Amino acid sequence: MNFFALVKLTIPVMMGYIPLGMAFGLLLSKLLIPWYYALFMSMFIFAGSGQFLALTLFASQATILEIGIATFLLNLRHTFYGLSMISTFKAFSWKKHYLIFGLTDETFALLKTSEVPEENREKAYLLITFLNQCYWIVGSVVGAILGNIVPFNYEGIEFSLTALFVVLSIELYKKNRLHKPFFVALIIGLFGMVLFPPQKMLILSLCLAAFVLIVFKGSMERGK
Amino acid sequence: MESSYLIGSIIVATLATYATRIIPFLLFRTREPSPLIKYIELNMPLMIMVILVFYAMKDVKWESYPYGMAELIGLSVAIVLHVRFKNALLSIFIATLSYMILIQNVF
Repeated sequence: MNFFALVKLTIPVMMGYIPLGMAFGLLLSKLLIPWYYALFMSMFIFAGSGQFLALTLFASQATILEIGIATFLLNLRHTFYGLSMISTFKAFSWKKHYLIFGLTDETFALLKTSEVPEENREKAYLLITFLNQCYWIVGSVVGAILGNIVPFNYEGIEFSLTALFVVLSIELYKKNRLHKPFFVALIIGLFGMVLFPPQKMLILSLCLAAFVLIVFKGSMERGK
Repeated sequence: MESSYLIGSIIVATLATYATRIIPFLLFRTREPSPLIKYIELNMPLMIMVILVFYAMKDVKWESYPYGMAELIGLSVAIVLHVRFKNALLSIFIATLSYMILIQNVF
């Protein structure tokens, strides 16, 4: 695959990452955090929902430990992506560490769906991951800078994150073989939203979900 | 916000994110993942995503006007559009736009 074919492949991700990155940057600037932190976060963390979560936690003045645990639990889903990349990445050089670092939901989806011949695979994968990260960085920095300059009422733009979670829930529901975990999570989420203290809601609900998932493995797998 | 707090948080979030991505490569370099791990990894993402929807709405004031109506309408728009058209960008964009219009002009 040549350079332009690979760029073309990443366009859907660009269309998602630039507006979403901008939403992230805007939210960051609304918290009165300087724009270059958007650059650092997108360069080093490079996790869409993880970075939004970090902002939410900044706003509620969570401790650094809580930020670490919550980010880890939120991004734990990436472990699943890595699992299905083990055999592919095994043949690659040390550069595979950038691929592992950049394994976001969208990059994973592109790598999994792109049909690159084996001999060019490492280079192609590196380019896809790099382009995706560039889109994300550009979006977040532009958002963070424009947020302070352009007079526009951004109130409510953070709902794009809620909508993203809704969309991904539907996508995963359709893909998942088992459907019971979905309904269990609905109950736990509602329960957690109403009863748990807001700052601890995510960690407590996720632990409860993991607990129920493991303890009731038998009944989860029965039926559908 | 203090820069030491921000920088510390960014370092921790960076390490935590990278950890979730490198774990499988470290753990299963030689052996195959156990059925329980596979089961958790297959089903946990769906549960996490659903819980995140509720997490995003944890600060909504349900007991006083407008009773979270903007959120409920925004959610419904996202769900209906996504089930109907299966286009993630479209669903997210229209739902966010509806929500912004509602909270800025209606409620």
